[in-house]
Amino acid sequence: MSMLPLDKDDGGARFPGFSSLAQSGHWDQATAGVVLGRIALPADIRFFTPTEEATARALLDQLLDQHGEPRVPVVNMVDARLADNQTDGWRYDDLPEDGEAWRKTLSALDHAAEEQFFQPFADCPEHQQAVVLQAVQDLGDQPWQGMRASRVWGLWTRYACTAFYSHPWAWDEIGFAGPAYPRGYKNLGLNRREPFEVADAIPQEDPVKADRPAQDQDRP
Amino acid sequence: MNRVRQRNESAWLLPPGPGSNNDLRKHMRRFEDQDEVDIVVVGCGAGGSTVLQRLARAGWRVVGLEAGPFWDPEQDWVSDEAGSHHLYWTEPRVIAGEDPVPLGSNNSGRGVGGSMVHYAGYTPRFHPSDFHTFTADGVGADWPLDYADLKPFYEDIEAELPVAGEAWPWGDPHKYPHRPHPVSGNGELFLRGARACGVTAKVGPVAIANGRFGNRPHCIYRGFCLQGCKVNAKASPLITHIPDALAHGAEIRADSMVTRIGFDERTGKATGVHYVQGGRERYQRARNVAIAGYSIETPRLLLNSTSDRFPEGMCNDFDQVGRYLMVQGAPQTAGRFDDEVRMWKAPPPEVSTEDFYETDPSKPYKRGFSIQTVSPLPITWAEHVAAQGHWGADLRRYMSDYVHWACLGALCEFLPLEGNRVTLAEEKDRYDLPVARFSYSQCDNDRSLMEAAQSVMERILKAAGADEVITIKRYAHLVGGARMAADEEHGVVDQDCRSFAVPNLLITDGSVLPTQGSANPALTIMAVAARAAQKLAETPRTGRND
Repeated sequence: MSMLPLDKDDGGARFPGFSSLAQSGHWDQATAGVVLGRIALPADIRFFTPTEEATARALLDQLLDQHGEPRVPVVNMVDARLADNQTDGWRYDDLPEDGEAWRKTLSALDHAAEEQFFQPFADCPEHQQAVVLQAVQDLGDQPWQGMRASRVWGLWTRYACTAFYSHPWAWDEIGFAGPAYPRGYKNLGLNRREPFEVADAIPQEDPVKADRPAQDQDRP
Repeated sequence: MNRVRQRNESAWLLPPGPGSNNDLRKHMRRFEDQDEVDIVVVGCGAGGSTVLQRLARAGWRVVGLEAGPFWDPEQDWVSDEAGSHHLYWTEPRVIAGEDPVPLGSNNSGRGVGGSMVHYAGYTPRFHPSDFHTFTADGVGADWPLDYADLKPFYEDIEAELPVAGEAWPWGDPHKYPHRPHPVSGNGELFLRGARACGVTAKVGPVAIANGRFGNRPHCIYRGFCLQGCKVNAKASPLITHIPDALAHGAEIRADSMVTRIGFDERTGKATGVHYVQGGRERYQRARNVAIAGYSIETPRLLLNSTSDRFPEGMCNDFDQVGRYLMVQGAPQTAGRFDDEVRMWKAPPPEVSTEDFYETDPSKPYKRGFSIQTVSPLPITWAEHVAAQGHWGADLRRYMSDYVHWACLGALCEFLPLEGNRVTLAEEKDRYDLPVARFSYSQCDNDRSLMEAAQSVMERILKAAGADEVITIKRYAHLVGGARMAADEEHGVVDQDCRSFAVPNLLITDGSVLPTQGSANPALTIMAVAARAAQKLAETPRTGRND
């Protein structure tokens, strides 16, 4: 079971008792060094200014639905990547490189929140933050604050998901056991599990069925 | 002695079990910069390493320069997705066009072994039809060589990697040296779905030994092929060609970034390469130069190598350098099953179909696509889910369902288009060199293939019992950018990978491919490089004079 708070209706409680970290004794040294670093005390913020940090924190909490403790320190992880200039090796010709793009989009996010709700994004209540973000996503390839909305959305979600789903607590809530060397797997195939894997307690919890109207089921 | 071992002893030079042969590295031959070696090879990936090994075997004095590190898999690679970022080329690049293609991750490599360090491991051959798509269908380009010219090299490389798979019924039907691997839940569902809708699917072809090969151990099915194989089971040149090259006197100089090709205005020949190592500018003299930096860095290096003779970049007399760069459309479609699939267990490359590879006269588009199993790890899977528009609580809920999803990926043969190219950007990197700007736009045929591939993947997954399917549009692989052609007005190199403009300059990587088929390119890149090396070895070591 993951350390992270997640409501049963939101996919919590599916893998009771499952812990990827409990397997860390079976990981090779190089891998353990990298993965265990993620549960250590988070690195201090050194890239974002305090204003940017507040906006980024609120943004990342929204994108990843982290509204209580403990939480994966995503803002510190994103900040560390940007401070190290650890980019993916490309930028769009109409956006600056990632660090500058983060600064620019966070400032634009505050601007958008102020336009609509008369206060910076981080000061808005959560439901208002969600409204501002949904508007960015809904614009698709249309411009938002002078930038192509889909590219801004892609930048945020790419960094957010990479940080969050690299964390063992996040693996616990999706049933993924993490590193698999030098042990490997023995039991391949449908419904076959390793002794350390835990079966999904609610296999019928199909998120697709849950939130789509029936007539949409066959759309491509 | 085993026939493969007679021509390439790499697998027997490694230690038994995982690990590196550190003695081989420690005692490798070392040349001085002022030594005029027979050939300097820029880049130690699929193409460069093959050339190094072949020419070292032929007795040539060879040096390979590699911008990235000389990996030690046990120390440097991890069984973890985010921790493998250093396997990618992440120097700055600019992407543009109507359909910009993200670079860096799945389509780049760095370090000895190149992108084959983190490729899935699929090694299909091209089909005979790939070599004359223009004559047959009026699209793409004709190669200046035929399938028959490459066939013996395909066979050689397949034995050296080695490749495992079922007897292959498509293209030029052939067998593989190793038997097919067992499949996981993901492969099982692909086979089941394909059978149910009349599509032929086969296990393989993957460059993962099935059984011990030399000292290389058997695969442990841990599913982290894309993070570098710590086991030494999956082939990459780091373990398939570099050990033998070192044993035959090659030097691999890692952490060495080549910045410019040396050129003698008087003779019109290349004289070596300028490179930076540890912050110091150095120059390696050589009688021949082979560039193998792949489809972005090879054109960039040529464009940055200006001189009086080549004011627009070396070999660029006809504005061909950087053009006709291709990616494959690689949509991935996932299906939801009540069963637990746990697709991340076992190597992602398992099962493929090439039923849709060739032009189907009944369809409005030309050429086709292949379909293969892929098995995204959590971060990549989160990209799939986020691409459906999910975020916040919705994203977490979807992700909690991970164990129930199976995933297929298509490779669509996007056509080589003149305007899809690398040029130099205004922006400079830390070596003060202009970075590459890669512009990409799809044509109608490309878009039709993406749609067709998606609908076939949906059909297969639904036939296997999926109650819902989702698709993410993405790209895979790079080829072209310095293509081979019949003459200098249509390409940069000839059928033997020798540049038209500079007699002792070769390009021996994926950038020479004029078309790409629907096949993963690694095997073909190695086969083309092996052929070029053989042709070169037949010439005097002093370099061509014509």
